[in-house]
Amino acid sequence: MAADTTTEFFESLGRRAHEPLLEQTVGTIRFDLARKSDVHRWFVAVDKGDLAVSHQRRRADCTVRAPKQLFDRVASGEVNATAAVLRGAVQVEGDAELLTLFQRLFPGPPAETSAKRSGKKP
Amino acid sequence: MTDGSVSILDGNTFVVSDDRGDIEATPTDTAGLFSFDTRFLSKWVLTVDGERLSALSTDDLSYFETRYFLVAGTGTVYVDAKLSVIRRRAVSEGFSETLEVLNHDDQAVDLTLRIEADADFADLFEVKDALKKKGTYTREAAPGRLRLGYTRDTYRRSTAISSVPKAKADEAGLTFRIRLGPRESWKAELEVVTEFAGLERLAKSSGRGRARANMESELERWLDGAPKLHCDWDPLLTTYRRSLVDLAALRFSPLTAGRRSLPAAGLPWFMTMFGRDSIITSLQALPFTPELAATTLRELAIRQGTRTDDFRDEDPGRILHEMRYGEMTAFEERPHSPYYGNADATPLYVVLLDEYERWTGDRKLVRELESVARAALNWIDEYADLQGNGYISYQRRNEETGLENQCWKDSWDSISYRDGRLPGFPRATCELQGYAYDAKRRAARLARTVWDDPAFADELDRQAAALKRRFNRDFWVEDGKYFALALDPDGNQVDALTSNNGHLLWSGIVDKSKAKAVARHLLGPRLFSGWGVRTLAEGETRYNPIGYHVGTVWPFDCSFIAWGLRRYGFKDEAAQIAAGILDAADFFEGRLPEAFGGYERSVTKYPVQYPTACSPQAWSTGAPLLLLRTMLGLEPVGEHLVVDPALPVGLGHLELLDIPGRWGRFDAFGRGFMSAERAPKLREQLGAAG
Repeated sequence: MAADTTTEFFESLGRRAHEPLLEQTVGTIRFDLARKSDVHRWFVAVDKGDLAVSHQRRRADCTVRAPKQLFDRVASGEVNATAAVLRGAVQVEGDAELLTLFQRLFPGPPAETSAKRSGKKP
Repeated sequence: MTDGSVSILDGNTFVVSDDRGDIEATPTDTAGLFSFDTRFLSKWVLTVDGERLSALSTDDLSYFETRYFLVAGTGTVYVDAKLSVIRRRAVSEGFSETLEVLNHDDQAVDLTLRIEADADFADLFEVKDALKKKGTYTREAAPGRLRLGYTRDTYRRSTAISSVPKAKADEAGLTFRIRLGPRESWKAELEVVTEFAGLERLAKSSGRGRARANMESELERWLDGAPKLHCDWDPLLTTYRRSLVDLAALRFSPLTAGRRSLPAAGLPWFMTMFGRDSIITSLQALPFTPELAATTLRELAIRQGTRTDDFRDEDPGRILHEMRYGEMTAFEERPHSPYYGNADATPLYVVLLDEYERWTGDRKLVRELESVARAALNWIDEYADLQGNGYISYQRRNEETGLENQCWKDSWDSISYRDGRLPGFPRATCELQGYAYDAKRRAARLARTVWDDPAFADELDRQAAALKRRFNRDFWVEDGKYFALALDPDGNQVDALTSNNGHLLWSGIVDKSKAKAVARHLLGPRLFSGWGVRTLAEGETRYNPIGYHVGTVWPFDCSFIAWGLRRYGFKDEAAQIAAGILDAADFFEGRLPEAFGGYERSVTKYPVQYPTACSPQAWSTGAPLLLLRTMLGLEPVGEHLVVDPALPVGLGHLELLDIPGRWGRFDAFGRGFMSAERAPKLREQLGAAG
């Protein structure tokens, strides 16, 4: 499979192994990312900041469903996850607090997106 | 209500209608059924045989339930009273309405009842700014039900209306054709449900749509759980009860909070989580309902800033300003998902965390939130010091939809020099420095007693002491003997005299030697109106007694000023401010508005409400609670609650029983002086003698 933003995002989480921003967090999030008839499934288990990323099915506290194409843009910071949930583009089931905390790991918007939305001249 | 409209609510679902129960919104009117910042009904009009009804009376059964007594016809002089209609409406997941028609005549009648219904699905931001919608509308009618829908991309919202018995439905409403015999009555139940496609599972788990019976018993529990007040001045009892009920109504559960709730900022525009307002209200309510503070601390922590995002004015460690759920936020046309543009909630967060521990002894939560507090403290030093001069200042990075003034006085002209000029940006307003000082001092205490990091505590104390020294030098207006409102981008004083001086006393940043002069100003003729402290002093160029932040009196502001005066030992002065605000509350039937006019009390005799002030507003609701605390001089010391009362003249005794805290429950008593020679008045007022 060709490397893409989403795969890179999850793989980098796996390499990072520990994330200080989630030291108070325990739980597993399942991501179901749909592309055509395929569903790419990722599990991220958070245990007081320790991260374990896999494709292996397991019990999840929170399930996030989104089109893969959209999730690429979330993973790059271009699309804000909370806003995407509010407009139904990303669907959440289960413990919403877990996703709210997890989205700390998404990068902020690229400078160009940010400048455009903030009314700044380039 | 001031404009004849009736509002009922549950969390962030609320209805604003006229006194007949009808909703007829215009694009910029607030009437409607709202939920999660979206208008789900913009029209809901009842007619009998094509005629509108007239209101006989409206009965607010509770904050979530109202009954409307109506008669047919709209004649101004003669009303045919052979037919009456009772609408009873309760807000939950939308609302339910019972419609009852009574025939008082000895003849049978045939009637056509019609409810016209429509929904524009406007975002609150669109209602405020009169913007056009970008999506498409749908209408589906079936026997007994009508569904109004709106779609834009993946964003779908709908309003499902149904009735028992089944009405004849069309795309514009519901019709009942009924025959009533002599003295007969007829009843129908209407159900209006707000729907959020894709968000149902979240919305359900947030405790939305609690059953009505639960809401009633829950309100009883809330009132029972609060301390009991006894005193010899009846208006205070009314104000206290009003405050508790309004605070219950203003509770809001963010989608992640389960059934826990925190104070939203106010009705109708601000039924959401605001960093500043939720923290300030939680501080005011701590001696009464400490659980609000716990939820506020937790929920703000979950959403603490972690990255740099110019659109949202987000920085690592920053506490959010405002969260919204409407369409414009969902499409990132507004930055409120959440928006972070404020400069005070972050230090105030640390202040609340410490104050919460002092009252409750809940060290577990303080330990859990250690990293959050450290990130907040780091924000003060690393991200808020925009000018590298050791002071918090603000300048928005979102120049299109961000906030210019990121302090509580957030209107465009609130920060000015004496001569009326407005300073450039960044602006370092004085109260922010006080909050930063207090945050460092309080964090030092927590580092020593809970986090077990004495070195960090020493460092924080050192920083706080240095900040205090610099502040008393740089902000002190020598020729006026008060603190400047702000420093401008060149480090010069923005020298207007303002109520912000009172917040500085509250924070403890004021040198003892300067406190007396500050207190004298706060109670002096330029700032004190007789009811409270003006936001901007009379005599300053921009002073206007009905200017939002440039002359009006804000009850919340005054409650913190009274707390500050007590901190520096000015007991009588604090009591005088309490007296003025509590007198004012009596004129508003116990519900203090956001702000009222800064007119001299002796001139107007009554407090003039600010024209568009929002009501009930959380921190106005909290003001009488904090004033009870300051009058009784309640202060947690170690495991005990110290009581040191100083009551206004006219209040003979004051008892607050069952105050919750780390001591279990505790009773506080205060005795005061009655003024014997006071001439009898139409209305007994506390502050008039002062």
